[in-house]
Amino acid sequence: MDKKTRWMFWIAGIIIFAIFPKLAGIYYSNIVVSMSVWALFAVSLNMLLGFTGLLSFGHAMYFGTGAYGAALALTHVNGLSFFSAMAAGCLCSVVLSLIVAPVVVRVSGTAFAMIHLAFAQCMFVLALKFRNITGGEDGIGGFSVSHIRIPGLFSLDVTDPAVFFYLSIGTVILNLLVLWFVIQTPFGQVMAGTRDNVKRIEYLGFRVSHTKAVVYVLAAGSAGVAGAVSAMHQNLVAVNDAYGMMVSVLPIMIVMVGGARSFFGPIYGAVFFGFLEEYVTAYTDKFELILGLILIIFIMYWPLGLAGIFLKLKFKWLTRKQFLKRSGGGAG
Amino acid sequence: MDPTTAMYIAQGMHGIAYGMVLFLLASGLTLILGMMGILNLAHTGFFMLAAYFGYQMVQWTGSYWAALAAAPLVTAVFGILMERFLLKKVHVYGPMAELILTMGVSLVILDGVKVIWGSQSLPLSPPESLQGLVNIFGMQYPAYRLFIIFLSLLVLFIMGVLLYKTRMGMIIRAAVSDAQMVDALGINVPVVFMLVFGIGTWMAGVAGVAIAPILTVSPGLASQMGMDAFIVIIVGGFGSLGGAFLVSLICGLLSSYGIQFLPQYSAVLIFIFMAVVLAVKPEGLFGEKT
Amino acid sequence: MNILETRNLEHEFNGYSVLKKVNLEIRKGETHAIIGPNGAGKTTLFNVISGMYTPSKGKVIFKKKDITGFKAYKIQRLGMGRSFQITATFDNLTAFQNIRMAVLSRKGIRFNLFRFVDKMNDVTTETINVLQNLDLWEACHTPAGMLSYGKQRSLEIGMALATDPDLVMLDEPAAGMSADETHTAVSLIKKLTKEKTVVIIEHDMDVVFSLADRITVLNHGTILATGIPKEIKANKDVQAAYLGRLEDE
Repeated sequence: MDKKTRWMFWIAGIIIFAIFPKLAGIYYSNIVVSMSVWALFAVSLNMLLGFTGLLSFGHAMYFGTGAYGAALALTHVNGLSFFSAMAAGCLCSVVLSLIVAPVVVRVSGTAFAMIHLAFAQCMFVLALKFRNITGGEDGIGGFSVSHIRIPGLFSLDVTDPAVFFYLSIGTVILNLLVLWFVIQTPFGQVMAGTRDNVKRIEYLGFRVSHTKAVVYVLAAGSAGVAGAVSAMHQNLVAVNDAYGMMVSVLPIMIVMVGGARSFFGPIYGAVFFGFLEEYVTAYTDKFELILGLILIIFIMYWPLGLAGIFLKLKFKWLTRKQFLKRSGGGAG
Repeated sequence: MDPTTAMYIAQGMHGIAYGMVLFLLASGLTLILGMMGILNLAHTGFFMLAAYFGYQMVQWTGSYWAALAAAPLVTAVFGILMERFLLKKVHVYGPMAELILTMGVSLVILDGVKVIWGSQSLPLSPPESLQGLVNIFGMQYPAYRLFIIFLSLLVLFIMGVLLYKTRMGMIIRAAVSDAQMVDALGINVPVVFMLVFGIGTWMAGVAGVAIAPILTVSPGLASQMGMDAFIVIIVGGFGSLGGAFLVSLICGLLSSYGIQFLPQYSAVLIFIFMAVVLAVKPEGLFGEKT
Repeated sequence: MNILETRNLEHEFNGYSVLKKVNLEIRKGETHAIIGPNGAGKTTLFNVISGMYTPSKGKVIFKKKDITGFKAYKIQRLGMGRSFQITATFDNLTAFQNIRMAVLSRKGIRFNLFRFVDKMNDVTTETINVLQNLDLWEACHTPAGMLSYGKQRSLEIGMALATDPDLVMLDEPAAGMSADETHTAVSLIKKLTKEKTVVIIEHDMDVVFSLADRITVLNHGTILATGIPKEIKANKDVQAAYLGRLEDE
């Protein structure tokens, strides 16, 4: 892609983004918001899974903590804006990850995965039991997000779905950009090295535990942002949608179906699941069964996920184009 | 014996009974984990599936004993099929892919049983001969729970003999510590793997049929006991049977006494126990440092 | 002057002692080969010195500093690099990225989260230099896991050297290589380690005698003899324990 087409691409993207709520209506805007929340959540998990080689079966603990953090901040502090609530959620997740990090960076592989399963379950039980804070099974709802205003300049009503669409998508894209940038830095290289060969990384003078800890906190913070946005989007946080087992399982599936080796893979995965949920739940309530089957099929036949399939198609298309060009040149 | 002491002892025995079944479930998991390096997340799914098979068997034959004999075997066949046709294929993609695959299978089983048997709890009553109370040292205790303890001990005894007294067991133990060496000796490791997977799943099956009369057969069975089983594995240390045994009993006692003394927070107790152990030793009580 | 010393170094695995009172002295600038039959404890000695294990007893002194029990990353930062018998490269990263990792480490760039790594021109230039020295330039965009075995071994040695350590520990650099590949590897090692101190474990006697200034023979976890190649060749004990047996085979 040359510079000009790239600019065209970006401008087209921004225009679509700007007119989407008007064009597609509230219903589809909301679907896109939840897709983008899942995308950010899955990408944050993939920072661990695909780029550092750490599989967590309990990433919900950070999504949920972000959601509860934002919701509790909004309930107890008056006049909190979208961004402050989001920051509160993110901060809660980061603090939790800092508490857990000293334990989890010492393990890897299956132990890392299972310890997280247990921790997330622990958060689930705690959220259920401390009902005077979390509202137990009913959760927390009905909190109001105040307008974002700069006195004399403008005031944004966050309850307007279109405004919320811009804010949440903007937040998600910004967060994704940060993560994408991290991958491109020297630190991103060390992450990939940790995934491929821990021993070598250590013998090159890098500290594996510190590297893991930094990625871990980054992933937790991003999951917290996703959780916070989701809480404000639903205007409700309930235990099952915050710390439930499926909240940990779903991003793993999104990553595997989208493609763990690609930064954008989980985003494709999130879009895929957004549509799937939309259409499958209309016909059957056995969504998990379908998800399980799709997951099994992808792992067995397309381990690189949708990103791998796209890459293959692109490669085929490019070689075909080249072939046509060459034969065309021969004729001329 | 005064009633209070009797109650404490009864609670303790409840805990031991639960702990033994938990160990039955967890030891199958440990066996597969130690042998193949795969933590089979579908294990608890198989455990629940066995309970459903047991229920179905009782519906057809009316005999609990037939269910106890047949259901775990059928479950083991499913386990072997999964190992042969699914796990083997993704082995080349690495352990994470295998782990995630077992998660997928687990989802399919958990939701699949609802398609076949519905979401409601189904009763599975113990055989008539075990329905009453037994008098031990002047204390009334449910015969069926006593039977569970004995059944678990029996299965574990058989496993012990199999592992430590037979040639097959020797190969299995060798394969657990070094698969390549056994390969070099010319023993057919894939067959050994299949066998171990079958045995492990069979043990989950026995646990499932054994616990079903106490907890009833429902889709919640897997998450209810499954989580405890995974905690046992984590806290006891990966691949350590002794650790799994100790922690199973601790979990059983924690849950039964917890319900008595701290009914509000009994579910949290096990997690606190786990958090304390992991904070000190992330590799588990008897786990080897990696 | 000794750059590395071990003092009465001992190591046990489950009560089975693998190293017994090993006193090794490596002089600055020399190439020192460690030879010995299989199971003599050579790789264990490397692992204990380089920080993979903490020795059961004894001391490791590197550059006059007691480094006993230090973690591997810390020892590396003090200027000790090593290669492994079983290739330990980053399989999914390209040869270029593999070497670049070592270059980043050498420059102390460990937690830089604020710059694009592709835009660090000095790192790129240096990486290209190293790759050219290693004859890996043509393969620079190939993932390490897909390189030929010989090239993987070159990469393995290159990674140990690209951090520019004062002391390099090479664990069987020519393991599993054909005669041709071994020849290339030897000249590569000679070329790249001119100014450095090298400790090398090797089975191939031709390699040992063409590279080493001094040789230490390890047998059953103890040092049998240390000396220049001529002395080692003439040593009766060594012949009995090791060389003689090789000729039998």
